[in-house]
Amino acid sequence: MAGLAEATASSGQRRWILIAIVASGIWASITLDLYPALLVPGQGGLAVVTEFFSYALSPVTTYQSKVPEGTKPLAAQALLAAWHTVKFAAAAMGLSLVGGISLGFLSSYSLMIETRRGITRVIGGTIYAIARLTITLMRSIHELLWAVLFLAAFGISQLGAVIALALPCAGILAKIFSELIDETPRHAAHAAEAAGASPIQIYCFILAPQALPNILAYSFYRFECALRSSAVLGFFGYPTLGFYIAASFENLYYGEVWVYLYTLFLLVAAVDLWSGAIRKRLA
Amino acid sequence: MNAMTLPELYRARPRNLVVRGSLMAMLILIAGVWLSGEFLDPQAFTDKRQENVARFLNELRPNPLQSASFDVTLALTWAHSIMQEKGWDALRITLAISFAAITLAGIFGGLLALPAARNLTRSEPFVINRTTCSRMTNLIWSILVGATRLLLIFLRAIPEYVWAFLLLALLGPTAWPAVLALALHNTGVFGKLAAEVIEDLPAGPLRSMTGMGASRLQVAAFTILPLTLPRLLLFFFYRWETCVREATVLGMLGIVSLGFWIQDARARNFYDEMFFLILLGALIVLLGEVISTWARWHVRRAS
Repeated sequence: MAGLAEATASSGQRRWILIAIVASGIWASITLDLYPALLVPGQGGLAVVTEFFSYALSPVTTYQSKVPEGTKPLAAQALLAAWHTVKFAAAAMGLSLVGGISLGFLSSYSLMIETRRGITRVIGGTIYAIARLTITLMRSIHELLWAVLFLAAFGISQLGAVIALALPCAGILAKIFSELIDETPRHAAHAAEAAGASPIQIYCFILAPQALPNILAYSFYRFECALRSSAVLGFFGYPTLGFYIAASFENLYYGEVWVYLYTLFLLVAAVDLWSGAIRKRLA
Repeated sequence: MNAMTLPELYRARPRNLVVRGSLMAMLILIAGVWLSGEFLDPQAFTDKRQENVARFLNELRPNPLQSASFDVTLALTWAHSIMQEKGWDALRITLAISFAAITLAGIFGGLLALPAARNLTRSEPFVINRTTCSRMTNLIWSILVGATRLLLIFLRAIPEYVWAFLLLALLGPTAWPAVLALALHNTGVFGKLAAEVIEDLPAGPLRSMTGMGASRLQVAAFTILPLTLPRLLLFFFYRWETCVREATVLGMLGIVSLGFWIQDARARNFYDEMFFLILLGALIVLLGEVISTWARWHVRRAS
């Protein structure tokens, strides 16, 4: 139990954190000129805002534009875009699982350093440092920035887009995987070590299986994030939901925009519920 | 405990149909997508492509160095001029957007978490001996919970980038669209996390408050807030990290954060500058991660 004096001291520390948050919020609103008055749109703007949000309650069921004969119905088009979104996300997820697991392997303290002795400890430590640096670089560059880089290098390419989605995701997965494995209890590992197991055996048969439920749960959560990023890739010309949101919005077909927004919402919400159900069972 | 043989132990291992089915479905989906060959680009390794990529990689080097041998001072002057011209300003704006957005998200997410928490938003919360309430009252309270949760899911299902795109056209070119876009998405995330924390609170302190006659709002302000504050602060800093990450790219839509200058450099084919600014973005994301880890460590230690 913390004594009264310690409790007071700790709440004093927290007070400074709260003060810092408020101060940075105020600094930010001054820097950005965030006047509430700017939020109120002018006469013309107000009409657009009202029109846009009125379609939220009454999204259309057919195209608002004149479309050529034989175009897919709007609902089918939305579903197709959703399917493309899922495909990009799944392809990226496959790559990042492979990358995340292998890099997670190399950036795991318990495999590369803790269980090793002598010269292999030095070599393991070096590989560990390089792997850590790599995954840090991978995840600190946003997927859209990777996409911009690949667009500049390869032009528009579906493979480039998938790799752009996969890189930061693999970096995050590798970091989380290695941390989950490093945090698993050590009793069984010590027993296996005493029985003469090699570091790789300890890692693969003791530490990794114990962390597996958490790893699975986290991977499903990441799939949800990959879906959202995949939808945004549409803004760069790929056939995912973002492409249709942008196109309809720029043509002022707000009813269609809401159809695509609700499709995205249903897609993400479904995966959200799905991964939630899995997490609950694995916990 | 009865001793079990290895095969018996194996057969008795925990199995769950949902988990196994989901795993199979996911693996089949991934395998199917890759085997369909849609993402395998046969053009990727032609000579022409490789030539283009080689040229592109060459252009990533700072411009003054492309024709000269490596020289540190030359590279530093080049970097310094970019930082003076746009780098520092872009960093300042990116940080400011993330601060403003997370502050708003913290306020709104915290407020929306109250009606989303099932243990608070119900008829007669935290009462041991319930008097029977009419079906109607119970229904109204659960509708309120459901509606709030639906709103939170909707807010977080739409990516920040999409929110910013829509708001930019609706509100015009101020900093508000970027700030609001980040705030809306994170309100959804923060609200959900905070509601879960409230639902996991021990019932004791809350019951004693209602027992003394405190109203819902009083319980929220004087018991729930102090009890949940440490956890909420952890989530707050964790979400701030992602805000910094997203604030850099929102600039690509035309708000003057880092992303704007990255897009600008790309449009002018200044790939060296673009690459430099992308690395600058990575640096600020890392910086955010370090600050957030430090702050969360302090919060943990203080609680």
